Amino acid sequence: MNLLTRIHEWFSFLGNPASYAIGYLLETLFIIMFVGISFIALIYIFRKYMARIQRRIGPNRVGKFGLLQLIADALKLIGKESILPEGRDDLAYKIAPLIIMIATLVSFIILPFGDLTYFGSLTITHSKITLILLFGILSILPIGEILGGMSTRSNYALIGTMRAVAKDVSFEVPMLISALAIVMISSRSFVTGNAIVGGFNLSTIVTDQIIPYGIIEPVGLIVFFISMIARASYTPYDLAESDSELITGYTTEYSGMRFGLFYIGLFGMIYLGSFFISILYLAGSNGPVTTDLGFIYLFIKTDILVLIAFLIWVSLPRIRIDKFVNLGWKYLLPLSVINLVYAGFFILYIR
Amino acid sequence: MAHYTELNIGPIHPAVHGILKFKVKLQEEIIEDVEITLGFLHRNAEKICELNYYADNMVYFDRMDYIDAMNMELGYLTAVEKLMDMEVPERAQWIRMIMAELNRLAARLVGLGAFGLDMGMLTPFFHCFIEREKIQKIFVEASGGRQEVNYMSIGGVYQDFNDQIINDIREFLKEFKPYLEDIYGMFMHSEIFWQRNDGIGILEPDVALDYGVTGPLLRGSGIAYDVRKDAPYLFYDKVNFNIPISHKKDNMGRFILKVEEMRQSIRIIEQSIDKIPDGPYFNNKAKKSMMLRLKGDGEVFSRVESENGEFGVYVRGNGTFKPWRVHVRSPAFKNISVVPVMAKGMMIADLIVIIGSVDTVIGEIDR
Repeated sequence: MNLLTRIHEWFSFLGNPASYAIGYLLETLFIIMFVGISFIALIYIFRKYMARIQRRIGPNRVGKFGLLQLIADALKLIGKESILPEGRDDLAYKIAPLIIMIATLVSFIILPFGDLTYFGSLTITHSKITLILLFGILSILPIGEILGGMSTRSNYALIGTMRAVAKDVSFEVPMLISALAIVMISSRSFVTGNAIVGGFNLSTIVTDQIIPYGIIEPVGLIVFFISMIARASYTPYDLAESDSELITGYTTEYSGMRFGLFYIGLFGMIYLGSFFISILYLAGSNGPVTTDLGFIYLFIKTDILVLIAFLIWVSLPRIRIDKFVNLGWKYLLPLSVINLVYAGFFILYIR
Repeated sequence: MAHYTELNIGPIHPAVHGILKFKVKLQEEIIEDVEITLGFLHRNAEKICELNYYADNMVYFDRMDYIDAMNMELGYLTAVEKLMDMEVPERAQWIRMIMAELNRLAARLVGLGAFGLDMGMLTPFFHCFIEREKIQKIFVEASGGRQEVNYMSIGGVYQDFNDQIINDIREFLKEFKPYLEDIYGMFMHSEIFWQRNDGIGILEPDVALDYGVTGPLLRGSGIAYDVRKDAPYLFYDKVNFNIPISHKKDNMGRFILKVEEMRQSIRIIEQSIDKIPDGPYFNNKAKKSMMLRLKGDGEVFSRVESENGEFGVYVRGNGTFKPWRVHVRSPAFKNISVVPVMAKGMMIADLIVIIGSVDTVIGEIDR
């Protein structure tokens, strides 16, 4: 009995299609709210943590212990005047932040969230190709970056867009190939030893991970983690919006809540990427004691990954663009291919 | 035919330290040409100096290199005191030296923090500024001002050192030494930091001499020139310290050199704080005259080593209460003019790092 069927039963007096629709809607809202709130909490923890690293105090004024600081910041962004640059392409300018934010948010409903005691399974999307679907949605993000950057006719935004495209092209490929190695390994069941069809299904990948795949292929984990930070534009790989060189890159001409939407998109991207890694490599919602708390296990793994990414953010300087693209093509790509070959050997001989 | 992208870095941009404009011609990301526009912060300080009594000009010098105010004051005072044949008591001279070196430390800390920030390195910035804050607290105790201190005055210093201040300086140095190594480690243990700086912004010694570059930029090219050693003022000839030079000629060499200079500054302060003699901290002749009835005649040029290099002040008096002409040789102006040479053929990200490495203060350039 999972959350979806429960809601469906409550609204069963409306008839079958309507009650399922309401069920999906409510569950999606529930998940996105939970993810959002937990992310706000995570950012609060991170800011305190960052402040400790930098010998500061951190937020402590708004609300109890500064808990409401992020909400105050968001309200400030909403209240700001949205300045529209002259000579812009109006439609592209206005639609770009929406594309980024919606694509990031929609991705969250594809993930297998696992079980939570009373609610049962919280997974919303039941499909055999969720992995492909997720990559498909993620590949929408560059479109938003390009539209946002090119529509404003600013030279900063132009160079920022060029960098963003370079980033997306050179890091999407190693990311995909690393994910492909996972698909290969998960195409044969650990439990029974038989070939299974669900290689592209995130839920199957999770339930099949008796040993986390990150232990089986650590190279893939590292490559995927680096690519994830790069795609989410975090220092040392935040070239697309490198603030000391290009002001904020492709978002230079954005202000107010439109800029906020880009920001939410990028913050969401690192969270999503961490979810993705903990599902693919760290056994997702599988945990040591009981399967009932899968949701919690998944969140703990994800939060640790996000904090690692943030730690890298505060401690490293920014890499240069040529070194950055080199990293993608000359190091990560061969590594991921080696990892792919290794995965093939692993299925054929080792297991 | 080559197609360029023109990018205006500045006047308001996170990378430029202050208000100046770099008009950059880019071929993709490679820099073809850099054109510097200055003058956004021009306040006519030299001309204003002619309208004031000698003692009142201190505030304008405070605001030239505003993060190294003590050395600016020192530059003006050495000139004016030479002009007036004003003797400065020994105690005041030692105090001036300690304050100048403390301020050099503070200015270097700002430079290092901003240098890290130019590369997207967030953390060292805060560490640097927290340490600088401690120096500023010492300044507040001594002078009442944090940044634009207005501490020194003709014939001495505004206020004597008491035991409290001396203790504070000793304590600060004791705490600061390990922190300096920490901050240094934060940069040096990062592979990316090396990648960004090693071999970037190369300045050949002959080019540096042609442009009149001084300070860490010149010493980073392997020429050991420091006013403190070559033409000692105050008591710099009575303390032991070294002038570090680097033969790497690039950003990395300059960075290591700057940190080494901070260590030398600490050495100077440690030696001088033990040597402060008892006695007056103010020349009574200057005090009795209420600082206003001081006449100067003749012309002098004097120079001190500020954080950016040789800071020279030319003062000409015509026997009245006000200077007839004041002119400043700004080291940062010479230093910034060499940026296009260093940045040519580099990438735009390198230009930002080079600007951070040259570390100019616009207040001093534009005056």
